[in-house]
Amino acid sequence: MSKILGIDLGTTNSAMAIVEAGEAKIIENKEGARTTPSVVSVSKSGERLVGVIAKRQAITNPQNTIFSVKRLIGRNFSDEEVKKDKSLLPYEIKERQDGGVEVKIGDKWYSPQEISAMILVKLKQDAEDKIGEKITDAIITCPAYFDDSQRKATKVAGEIAGLNVLRVINEPTAAALAYGLNKKKDQQIVVFDFGGGTFDISVLEVNEDTVEVKGTGGDTHLGGDDFDQKIMQWVVNEFKKEQGVDLSKDTLALQRIKESSEKAKIELSTSMETEINLPFITSTDTGPKHLLLKITRAQLENMVGDYIEKSINLVKKTLKEVNLEPKDIEEIVLVGGQTRMPKIQEEIKKLFGKDPNREINPDEVVAIGAAIQGGVLRGDVKDVLLLDVTPLSLGIETLGGVSTVLIAKNTTVPTSKSQVFSTAADNQPSVEIHILQGERPMAHDNKTLGRFILDGIPTAPRGVPQVEVSFDIDANGILNVSAKDKATNKTQSIKIEGTSGLSKDEIEKMKKDAEAHAGEDEKRKDIIEAKNIAENLIYTAEKTVKEAGEKVSGEARKDIENKIDDLKKAKDGDNIEDIKKKTEELSQLAQKIGAEMYKQTQEQPKQEEKPNEDKKEPEEGEYKEKNG
Amino acid sequence: MEEQNNNEIENELKECEKLRDEYLAGWQRAKADFLNYKKEETARISELMDYFRAQQILEILKIIDNWDRAMKHKPKEIKDSVWLKGIEMIENQLKELLKSEGVEEIKTIGEVFNPEIHEAIEETDGSGESGEIVEVLEKGYTLNNKLIRPAKVKVNK
Repeated sequence: MSKILGIDLGTTNSAMAIVEAGEAKIIENKEGARTTPSVVSVSKSGERLVGVIAKRQAITNPQNTIFSVKRLIGRNFSDEEVKKDKSLLPYEIKERQDGGVEVKIGDKWYSPQEISAMILVKLKQDAEDKIGEKITDAIITCPAYFDDSQRKATKVAGEIAGLNVLRVINEPTAAALAYGLNKKKDQQIVVFDFGGGTFDISVLEVNEDTVEVKGTGGDTHLGGDDFDQKIMQWVVNEFKKEQGVDLSKDTLALQRIKESSEKAKIELSTSMETEINLPFITSTDTGPKHLLLKITRAQLENMVGDYIEKSINLVKKTLKEVNLEPKDIEEIVLVGGQTRMPKIQEEIKKLFGKDPNREINPDEVVAIGAAIQGGVLRGDVKDVLLLDVTPLSLGIETLGGVSTVLIAKNTTVPTSKSQVFSTAADNQPSVEIHILQGERPMAHDNKTLGRFILDGIPTAPRGVPQVEVSFDIDANGILNVSAKDKATNKTQSIKIEGTSGLSKDEIEKMKKDAEAHAGEDEKRKDIIEAKNIAENLIYTAEKTVKEAGEKVSGEARKDIENKIDDLKKAKDGDNIEDIKKKTEELSQLAQKIGAEMYKQTQEQPKQEEKPNEDKKEPEEGEYKEKNG
Repeated sequence: MEEQNNNEIENELKECEKLRDEYLAGWQRAKADFLNYKKEETARISELMDYFRAQQILEILKIIDNWDRAMKHKPKEIKDSVWLKGIEMIENQLKELLKSEGVEEIKTIGEVFNPEIHEAIEETDGSGESGEIVEVLEKGYTLNNKLIRPAKVKVNK
């Protein structure tokens, strides 16, 4: 079965998405953009153009470039809305015989359905090119206030485009679907859709398997573009005040101001202040002039305050119409790029007393929801093979009581991981494998899942034996831990059932504990690490002195033994600076003695050159020592 | 009695075989999905890198636009100065750098307007062919033959 394309057929921009491997994702168009302008044109040479290319030539071909056709689809020529829009649209429209609307491109008349179909054809073709599969089925969205005739016309547009339109679903419903809000029963949801040119509010009620539209409201001529206009006006006015030059008739200057106004608006969603920096914006008899203006978030909020207030009032009005209070609303969903503005989010929070859902890109959320609806129809989203993740990290205790993670939290299971460890003391006959679960760096702060002992390790200096510890979790969460001595192949293992036996609350608590103690835990871990380094150094230093025998003079021997004692004392305390300092001192002295010994060796008849340091470390990747 | 048992076992075996086939198919699919995902991911990462590179170059181009504007307004007093020569050399250095990165300027003046690479900002009544580009308001560029910014132009009516 082929994939189902979810299409958000917008007034200014359209977007599309599909479900792949159970997840919805946006498909980019041929030009590489995630949204496509809903603009159609036939060029002077008779070529049909759709999207950004149609938009780029609009100026040279305004009578034949159709935008905002969604405002006309499925409407009667005598509708109030059409009358209002007619004066705003630069292309010709007339009444069709059946009372509908027709638009003119070149010398041909088209129905709005046919124009929408041209957009849909482009989307379909681009999607097919992108995913390399033929697409026949689609879900198309429309505003919640669309009547039967408008919905039918939308469906017809899809059919003209060669698509089998499985459903025409409401834009707000799609947005709610994208957030999975359809699963919660008896919920009232408000969808706040502030697009480029339109503002829609919908109140939805989710019941058993149905999403019902309880009410709609908004303003079909209020959008983010109005915000840009306000900034542009302000820039032009400020420049006039400062420099006495009117830029409102200068096409090029206006073009540059428009771009930087939109950029400033976007930047002010994340920063408190930005700059509009346009050098050589114009030139007069006195020479070139530059435009440099600072604009703050507060200034912007002031400029567009009326629009925001209007939108909030419209929400209140819509709620009143359906006899609901803001407190009755369980979820708020944000749609449309303008909802990224912090002030809008703030006002919504103020009205409803809760944060709106805004994790999904508001320009893409409707298309995503449409694709999900397609996935549900196709049976994609109901994935039978649900794979779990480990909620907490799993590991073992190593030298100094440190918890060493083998399988990190959020790893998808089934999975397995192994690591080689060694002994902490000379001639250590056995190692204890202490299995831990949790995020804290110290073993005793985490939960013990089990322990076992691997014995029979042949006598060897510390760090030499190689014990391979393997963790394996199956799809049911059953953990198998085994330890193998690589020299003797002797193996011990343990099976732990119900590693995810912890309740959700317990898991949350453990995660929170880890966050709360992150600082002190880090400090404790540092101390343990410093102690481990110190202990290693003491061990090697003592060994060197012993092996050197007569080669080290009595005085030097005395010196180094003193330093070793100092470090031993420091190591028993908890003063990390002291341990580090004494470690450094002993290390330097040991190096000096080492150099002295080396000189003596050179004076003696030449011996075979020994590779030194490299030999000390075992060759396995990350070698950690295990406290026996 | 025995026959019934045998039948039961046979049925169970059939059931098991059916499940085995189903699981094996699922396993193969999962493995294939994973390998395909890895391939797609590699392609996506390289696309993403191209995207970020283009974004950075676009930022540099904005500075070059302003540089071009500044050069159009050279003060008379320094027009022939050695200092200006040096500045122009720096300008060339920057443009050469972009060229070596695969950035190329889109042809405009005298060309026929093409919305694939040009964006019309204004129409004028000039002499010459209809649809011909008469003035560039902002240069357009391609990066490795892919459009990153259309040229903003004035077109003859």
